[in-house]
Amino acid sequence: MSNRSTEPDRGQEVRIEGARQVASSRADLQVSEDHHLCPGCGHPVAWRILLEVIQELSLAQRAIGVVGHGCYTNIVRMADIDFLQCLHGRAPAVATGVKRVQPQAAVFTLQGDGDMASEGLAEVLHAAARAEKITAIMLNNGVFGDTGGQMTAASVVGQRTKTSLEGRSPELHGYPVPVAELVASLPGAAYVARSAVNTAGGVAQTKRYLKRAFETQTSGAGFSLVEVLTMCPTGWFVPTAAGPGYLSDSMQPTYPTGPLKDSLRPA
Amino acid sequence: MTAALLQGSRAIADSAIAAGCRFFAGYPMLPFTDLLEAMSAKMPEVGGTCINADSEIEAVNMALGAGAAGARAATGSCGQGIALMQEAIAEAALNEVPMVVFNMARGQQDYWQATRGGGWGDYRTLTLAPKDVAEAVVHTQLLFHLADTYRAPVCLYGDYLVAHTHMSVDVAPIDFGPLPDKSWALDGTAGGTGHARQIWTWAMGRDDAPGPGPDVHWRRLAQKFATMGEAEARHESYRCGDAEWVVVSFGTAGPFIDYVVEELRADGQRVGSFRPVTLWPFPEAALLEAAGRARGVLVYEVNAGQMIDDVRLALRGQVPATFIGGVSIDSSGMRQGDLLTVAAIRSRVLDAIGVGAGERR
Amino acid sequence: MQIEVLLTGIGGQGVQLCAKALAMAATADGRQAMLSARYGGEMRGGQTEASVVVADTGLRSLPILPSAGSAYVMHHQYWPPVRARLRSGAPVVLNTTVIGPPEDLDGASEFLTVGIPATAMAAEAGAPMAAGFVLLGAYASLTSVASIDSIVAAMTELVPAYRREHIQANEAAIRAGAAAIEAGAADLWVMAGR
Repeated sequence: MSNRSTEPDRGQEVRIEGARQVASSRADLQVSEDHHLCPGCGHPVAWRILLEVIQELSLAQRAIGVVGHGCYTNIVRMADIDFLQCLHGRAPAVATGVKRVQPQAAVFTLQGDGDMASEGLAEVLHAAARAEKITAIMLNNGVFGDTGGQMTAASVVGQRTKTSLEGRSPELHGYPVPVAELVASLPGAAYVARSAVNTAGGVAQTKRYLKRAFETQTSGAGFSLVEVLTMCPTGWFVPTAAGPGYLSDSMQPTYPTGPLKDSLRPA
Repeated sequence: MTAALLQGSRAIADSAIAAGCRFFAGYPMLPFTDLLEAMSAKMPEVGGTCINADSEIEAVNMALGAGAAGARAATGSCGQGIALMQEAIAEAALNEVPMVVFNMARGQQDYWQATRGGGWGDYRTLTLAPKDVAEAVVHTQLLFHLADTYRAPVCLYGDYLVAHTHMSVDVAPIDFGPLPDKSWALDGTAGGTGHARQIWTWAMGRDDAPGPGPDVHWRRLAQKFATMGEAEARHESYRCGDAEWVVVSFGTAGPFIDYVVEELRADGQRVGSFRPVTLWPFPEAALLEAAGRARGVLVYEVNAGQMIDDVRLALRGQVPATFIGGVSIDSSGMRQGDLLTVAAIRSRVLDAIGVGAGERR
Repeated sequence: MQIEVLLTGIGGQGVQLCAKALAMAATADGRQAMLSARYGGEMRGGQTEASVVVADTGLRSLPILPSAGSAYVMHHQYWPPVRARLRSGAPVVLNTTVIGPPEDLDGASEFLTVGIPATAMAAEAGAPMAAGFVLLGAYASLTSVASIDSIVAAMTELVPAYRREHIQANEAAIRAGAAAIEAGAADLWVMAGR
């Protein structure tokens, strides 16, 4: 906080590229280095990428974030953009109302898998079907992290959670919901991708996908969604350092990363 | 402008648009459906948006988003649909997003739902209950004004008779005076300036600009609702001055009571009529003033007895209150049944005030 | 001064459309009107009833009328609840093609009944679906509640785009009904004491 400029950011024009890259460990739109989350959590990585993308696309003075209920809600405390914190699961509906009356804004939702895949599956699917010109971001760690590690609709088969102590069993709990694939199947969805933040390559991939998603929105092509796999060593009951490996071993077989749909891509 | 014959729902839609409403979302459910249809027909003409949402939950959250982004926004439903919206209505109250909820109820059985609500937290929803289409036109515009004045969700309690009756009305914008500015609304432009805006029920703010937090924020909200309770109670009374008996009713039942009062006055009975125009805040002081010297208060509502709680609280035990309403739904399930007729009401009033069959005209 | 009319029939006869045309016409004539409808969930075959109140000024009425001063009867099936609220001597126009002669209607002697073979006249005019408009023309002509030209204009506004081809026949039906009655024979404004 101490080295934060009191001058308003004006995007690229006032940035001192070299100095920033060397000296700053945070995105321009970040007001604090305290992410309020657990060590090893993947969410702050995703937040930082998101804020960098907003800055680099010169959307800082057009962005409105609609945030659901989960650990990631804390982005509201550390990012200098307009935020509306809304009810669990309903962010795509709320963002629809925002976007329809502020069509020039870059409107995005930030939700977890509990928020989007469990509580709010209807809202995201209908927003995608309506081709709302918003960008939905789901941080998928396969558990309710905020409440201490219970099973969500996105927990993978075999995953141990506080409500599936022996591991998610298809007989007892059924199968996980692949949100990205569901959304990609709808004609109103213009851009859909899934990435992960457990490796350096995954971070770069996430940034490319988020950029593409916002470009889809600003070009007016339709609904965009990026599902980001993130680490929750606390909710997974694994050592902090084991988070990235656990993600690739347990989640990625169920949730392959890569672009699923890109309507902006030349034919 | 000259008067046109408009269905109540269409008149409300025109009035909302005249008040500057530019966002509406709803999910079909009779007798609310006609308002949704009217909005979807009229909104495009003024460059507004009307979304036929895929659930009441979506609809109310869309309205909340539009309200947070600075538009005059509204939604609506009835009964079960309003039940689904309760969580978001409470949220809008707690995070201070103005919006109007048009509750076109299937009768009068939703008084408690309207005045107590089913959301969470210390909140109230100001609710106006018009007696007919002409009053609904005025109430609609007043509600948008009050929503912006208090940064709060507010409700219209209508019903089939308001939604479906046609009347010759002249819908024109009504000026209710100055309003606080809307610089709190989100438009995205403040990002990166150090002054980005937040709308957050917990009001915790940013690390570099901490908010008041839930304790202070919710105590301030409680004070705001107390202020509204003091300032916004509205009522209408008819011939209560010398009345021995005061009949209390709400919404579209009011004119029926007035009619019966007029008839009974002609027969020499000293009866009066009192109608809370705001269901919350309930006009407690005005009722005590109107009925404090009466022998008794009769409560007529087409339900099992809900508003009578508020009547008794207002009367503070000084005047006895007797329930003369009841459950009455017509065969369609969409509106009040035969208890909402002059003959039935007249008979119940006479029974309650002890005029025997032999003494009746 | 205000005038009430109860309109009754069975779903599909156009009673609701005619009630709305009457209320719109009265409004266009510079008066105030209130229209209330009551009908079952089914579009055709069930009870359909409407009430229209017209006032020259300061309309004050309940949406569910305790009593009424005139009636329009397309079918006799749901006539009893209308009869129960009609004041004695009230003009009643009825569709004799369906109901039979006026004296066949229960309690006809209490009222000023005027029979019109509306369904037959509509068929003759080449508009078999427009019987309701024939009876409306007759009602309006008899009672002077609204002008015939305003009723024709209201009908024209109410007919949906995909039924525009019926406008001419509907107008013929309204005017045929009006011509079948001595205009103002039971002028309700005069009867109400203006």
